[in-house]
Amino acid sequence: MLNPLRSEDDAFRALLYVLAVFVVVAGVVLVLRAIL
Amino acid sequence: MEAASIAHAATHGDHHGPPAANRSSRVEAQLLGMLLFIISEVMIFGAFFTAYFFIRIASGEQWPAPGTHLPEAVAGVNTLILVSSSFTLHWAETSIKRGNRFGLKAGILTTFLLGCTFLFIQINEYANIGFAPQDHAQQTIFYSLTGLHGAHVFIGLLLLLIVTIRAFRGHYSPEEHRGVDIPGIYWHFVDIMWIVVYFTVYVL
Repeated sequence: MLNPLRSEDDAFRALLYVLAVFVVVAGVVLVLRAIL
Repeated sequence: MEAASIAHAATHGDHHGPPAANRSSRVEAQLLGMLLFIISEVMIFGAFFTAYFFIRIASGEQWPAPGTHLPEAVAGVNTLILVSSSFTLHWAETSIKRGNRFGLKAGILTTFLLGCTFLFIQINEYANIGFAPQDHAQQTIFYSLTGLHGAHVFIGLLLLLIVTIRAFRGHYSPEEHRGVDIPGIYWHFVDIMWIVVYFTVYVL
C-alpha cells in the first residue's frame, strides 16, 4: 500500500497521483463551467 | 577504580559516547519525526482551507470580489516549475541510490534553483497583483493561504540548501542517504500542497 511518508520514492508517487486527480477534477469543472 | 573501568569497558565493548537513543517504534526516529511534523502541517493547512471555503461559500458575498483578478497563467507556469522540482529531486534520490554522484549533485542543485524560481515568481506576483491583504476578507485569505505555502517553500529551500552543500562536499552514499530522503519527503509534501492550493485558489 502506498504510504507517502515511508520514503521519498513513495512521496513522489503520491505527488503524481495527487497531480493526476487534480488535473481530472479541474478538467471536469472547467468543462462543466463552459457548458453550463 | 581501575578494575571497575575495565569491567565497564568489557561490558560495553568498544562503544564510546552516549548510549543509543531509546527506540520504541519500528519506524526510524528521523522518519517518524518528519511523519509527525507533516501530519501537524496537514492540520495547519486544513485550518486555512476551512477559512478559505468559509469566506468563499458561507459568507454569501460575490466571488471573486469586484476588482480581483488572479494571474492563473503565471501561477500555472509556477506550478509546473514546482512540480518539475519534484522530478529533479526524485532524480537526485535515485541517483545516489545507484551511486551516481553527478546525478545527485545536478538533481539537488536544479531542485534548489527551481524552488528559488518559484518563490521569486510568487513574490513578484504579490508585488504586481493589485490588491492588498487588508482590502477584503477574500484577499486576506488569498495572501494567507499562498503565503503559508510560500513560508513552507522557504523552509524547504533552507533544507535543500543544506542537502546541496552536503552533496557537493561529498556526503551521502548508496548505503546512507537519509539526509536526502527525509527532506525529499518534505519537499514532495510542499509540492502536493501547492497543487491543492493552486487548483483551489486559481482554477476552481
